Amino acid sequence: MSDFENGLPDPRQSKFGASKDSKPLAEEQIFLDYFDGNSAIPRRVELRIEGTFLSLTPAEGPPVRWHLADLRRVPDQAGGKDASGIVLALKDGSAQRLYIPADHKNLANALSIKTPVQSAQPTVPGIRYKLLGLSTAAIASVAFILFVLVPLLADQLAEFLPVEGEQALGDVTFEQIRTALNQDAGGSVQICERAVGQAALEKMTTRLSKHASFPFPLKVHVLQHEMINAFALPGGHIILFEGLIKSADTAEEVAAVLAHEMGHVASRDATRGALRSAGLIGVLGLVFGDFAGGTLALFLANQLIEAQYSQSVEVKADDYAARLLADAGLPPEALGVFFRRLRDEFGDEEGLVAHFSSHPALRDRMQAAAEAGRRNDYNPTSSVLTVAEWADLRRICG
Amino acid sequence: MVRPLRTEFVGDRAGLFRFAMKLSALTVLTLGLYRCWMKTRLRRWYWSAIRPGGHPMEYVGDPLEKLLGFLIAVVFLAFYIGIFNLILMFLSFSLWEGNFVGYAASFIVIIPVLFFAKYRARRYLLARTRWRGIRFGLEPAAWRYSMVAMVLWAITLLSAGALWPLMTFHLEKFRTNRTWFGSAKLSQGGRWYKLIVPATPALVSLWISLGLVAGYGATEDPAFIGGLFLSLPALGVFWVYYRVAAFRYLQSNKMIGDDVAMTATPRFWRIFGIYVWGNVAVGFILGIVASVVFFVLVVILLILGFSEDLSDAPVYLAFPLGLLGYFAVFVFWDVLTQVFVRMPLLAHYAESIGITDPMALSALSQRDCDAFLDAGGFAEALDVGAAI
Repeated sequence: MSDFENGLPDPRQSKFGASKDSKPLAEEQIFLDYFDGNSAIPRRVELRIEGTFLSLTPAEGPPVRWHLADLRRVPDQAGGKDASGIVLALKDGSAQRLYIPADHKNLANALSIKTPVQSAQPTVPGIRYKLLGLSTAAIASVAFILFVLVPLLADQLAEFLPVEGEQALGDVTFEQIRTALNQDAGGSVQICERAVGQAALEKMTTRLSKHASFPFPLKVHVLQHEMINAFALPGGHIILFEGLIKSADTAEEVAAVLAHEMGHVASRDATRGALRSAGLIGVLGLVFGDFAGGTLALFLANQLIEAQYSQSVEVKADDYAARLLADAGLPPEALGVFFRRLRDEFGDEEGLVAHFSSHPALRDRMQAAAEAGRRNDYNPTSSVLTVAEWADLRRICG
Repeated sequence: MVRPLRTEFVGDRAGLFRFAMKLSALTVLTLGLYRCWMKTRLRRWYWSAIRPGGHPMEYVGDPLEKLLGFLIAVVFLAFYIGIFNLILMFLSFSLWEGNFVGYAASFIVIIPVLFFAKYRARRYLLARTRWRGIRFGLEPAAWRYSMVAMVLWAITLLSAGALWPLMTFHLEKFRTNRTWFGSAKLSQGGRWYKLIVPATPALVSLWISLGLVAGYGATEDPAFIGGLFLSLPALGVFWVYYRVAAFRYLQSNKMIGDDVAMTATPRFWRIFGIYVWGNVAVGFILGIVASVVFFVLVVILLILGFSEDLSDAPVYLAFPLGLLGYFAVFVFWDVLTQVFVRMPLLAHYAESIGITDPMALSALSQRDCDAFLDAGGFAEALDVGAAI
């Protein structure tokens, strides 16, 4: 209740007040705090119900009459009506308010049954239409930024990136990856450098790169790690894992993977990706701000968008590899053979997960490789490595 | 002599828990879309719990205008951030051969927008706040605020924190002197140097901590790290002490119009206790909730027949269940923090505020409604001070 003392009778002293056996509303004498929407001083008014009107009579001056149908309850009040009463407003959104404290329980109950909850008052005229238009515009422009502008700009800027800058970026990233992959703290994964293995790798690389051109000199490394994987970094770094070489049956399979990674180097995919994700993360951070678990939503959305780009990039690198292999007189199907091995080993990604994966489904890639084999004629010359060289490459890590 | 007017707080934990749980669940189910409604409704609830002189405050924001404002802000910022970040990263790769400079620069260019967004959000909040039917308001000055804030931050950093009280005082003064209640303008009195004494313990612990870090950097002697285990908690405690003391001083020196003075008497130990015990309660309950959620998920998987190895569960099962568990824990954490930390803090601060001469409020009248386009959307998108 108000501590404000304004000389008017206090309803708490009224014999009707909050007692349970109070008489019908119209016969009670009830005084309440009324605000006229223009002054911050409460006015004590006597409340009466006259037919379909609520009449609020101040000590002096004319009464205020509210039609019962115009009454609205202010929503989402703390404490609930039993503990803290209700606040009445008018449906036209005026600032007038009538407070019915909890000690007038019967009145509060009676009124809250009949009175609908006030809907929020739109302060922007025609907000619903504006909202519809604007949300369409917002979704369209965010989609445009995410799917067109950012990738386009990333592709364009990647062309202008100075070669030295990109090579230095690649060197830094390579060291970071070596540290990150290492299980023991502080160290980094070993680079495999047995001389005979190196020579075999060199021979394979030269045979392929003779038929291609790259923005920078290639740097092919083998890392001592069991992962069956390979990737390309900015600035011409290609990394093959020992696990990949060990799992391949023939040197041609390794050559096929190498050719695929050369495709990434030729089109500077890693650099484009790094630039693109810088733009992406910022924009997605805006859209998924601060609700519980928003970080996960951000991560998933980012993964989904990145995956769409990267899957198309992978398809291009597969195509590139098939052509390069054929040009070098090697069987383009070798890539497909390697994918089959991967699938037999690990299974394929299907359904929902496939959309979040950075690579297309292996089944599709195998099919594409088989088609590429038919499309790209090649003259089978010598195999990529001799039996002895292949054995050396398999033992490059010792 | 009229009695000064005091503030009641009528919010209850159980009511808030049920209400916030319902709203958070809706927000998760609508992939975050409902958060405009959640914020608006929670604000209505909190505002209505604060009752100066027994009359509830009222929040009259519209969720739709909030959604509209958020969309406007996203369109502006998506362009700015998306393109800007990309170019910065390009420059960072070309000139500094790495991404660190790019990330640092992209944070620095967003700082002025953060202050801008905070002021805009406050302006929106006050424009939608009423007490006794009278509107509050804040004058438009968001870019000026952003400039003043950056200058004050620069001074604070250059003085190694010694002039932090100067920043606290002048930012509050900037905001207060542009705040209106109806036709009455608020004004901040007092002097900034009165905050030096309450800030001293926090600043000394800050300098000791920085010294320890520097000492470790120079000698790598682990004793310096041991010292941090004492100096950092001290910094936390004294920081809270400063916040409470600054609030007390600044609020007690505010006037509404020319005649109505404000008072504030928040108690440090009460606030400190809420931080400590509130967070202990949150951690304890959350631990139980997380265990129950995990247990239920495991039981579901076992019932479905993955008794041998739970990691065998197919991804279409494990993924939604994992997602459900993740969101359950996050929602509980957020709601429990509101119930055990934020609401008690707000209650204590609110109850400590009073007005000396409420009769003098009769001099003021209503102010016009402030129509808004972005409705705090920038703060929402940038995730600054947009919490309740």
